[in-house]
Amino acid sequence: MMSFGALSGYLLVSALLLAIGLVGFLVRRNLIVMFLCTELMFQGVAIAFIAMGKYLFDYSGQVMVIFVLTVAAAEAALALALVVLLHRQSETLDADSFGELHE
Amino acid sequence: MDLFLPYIACLIFSLALFVALRPARLQVKAVFIVIGVAAAGWLLGLVIGSLSAFSSASQGVFFIIFSLCAIAAALRMVTHGKPVYSALYFVLVVLATAGLFLLLEAEFMAFALVIVYAGAILITYMFVLMLSNQAADPDQPNTQPAYDRLPREPAAAVGVGFLLLCLVSGTVIGGGSALPENRTTWAEWSTLEHLEKQFKESVLKLDSEFAWPPEILENGKIIHLEGDEAFIVSSNGQTLVLPDEIMPRNTQMVGWSLVNDFPVSLELAGVILLMAMFGAAIIARRAIEMNEQEKNEVFGVEHKRHES
Repeated sequence: MMSFGALSGYLLVSALLLAIGLVGFLVRRNLIVMFLCTELMFQGVAIAFIAMGKYLFDYSGQVMVIFVLTVAAAEAALALALVVLLHRQSETLDADSFGELHE
Repeated sequence: MDLFLPYIACLIFSLALFVALRPARLQVKAVFIVIGVAAAGWLLGLVIGSLSAFSSASQGVFFIIFSLCAIAAALRMVTHGKPVYSALYFVLVVLATAGLFLLLEAEFMAFALVIVYAGAILITYMFVLMLSNQAADPDQPNTQPAYDRLPREPAAAVGVGFLLLCLVSGTVIGGGSALPENRTTWAEWSTLEHLEKQFKESVLKLDSEFAWPPEILENGKIIHLEGDEAFIVSSNGQTLVLPDEIMPRNTQMVGWSLVNDFPVSLELAGVILLMAMFGAAIIARRAIEMNEQEKNEVFGVEHKRHES
């Protein structure tokens, strides 16, 4: 049995992780760290899913986290491939330096 | 006044995060991260109320430990100047989150998270970091390039984070009491009906003289539910009360829900992973420039065969 107080604790932790990830994504200039911050936001969402699933006695919450993991893995693979490509072209990881990408 | 306390905690947290984001010495940053974690702990205390909200006191203590660990590591990750350390602190966040999942009785997801995140995704990040790591000045290998030292618009970003935090903590404190609180077990029991072999084995272990198979009700179910009790009736009128221990465990339930409720999504997830693999291989491949002679050296055998 999970009380509402415990649930709101879990939801607040998830919100804190999401907020920290969002701030990090906006603040950091390093492309790789920016993608790490999106992974941090995924963590926050996963906690919310599982806590709500526990509270509502529904296992779909955990299944959703499996899909979140899948999307995170796919995103990491594609994003890091792009980062490697960009780094090969301009020898920097600064997100601002890619403002003038064109053909 | 009590109404504003959570927002004050949010404000302290955001201010500490803002100061910690600015370039400073490690000790100064550490002090403000401690302040931020303390504010987060205060906010958690305000929202939860007391440890009696948890089913046992030890669970509450572990929740506090794991959540503060996760928040501290996340703050450290966002404010650290070196990307490799950021990635390592993210591993700590993942481990603390896995601890929270264990508290929520989601064992399968806890271990899957550690294996997939800490074991696979973070290793990929580390590989790319190692591939592209460089010092700003070759003479001073310990300095970081400017884009790692200087934040971009920290005030605006922390403002957005503060608003998000205020919104969520206000919502969490305000409502939600209308949600169900009674434990329902019909999902577990109806899954057990589908897991025929396990059902039979556990029933025969409880009572080896039970006449299998049990009777099927008018609504197509096998297990009767009355109040808190679940029981089955055999063809010769024998009844057997099912104890909670033979309910399917969390991992079984997640697997059942995955293949029974979301089959199309499961297939789509597989396709997404496959396309990501192809995409990564195609994007990151390197075109090799070769002149005629080199081509002959590499593909020489083929060419000769064509000529003859």
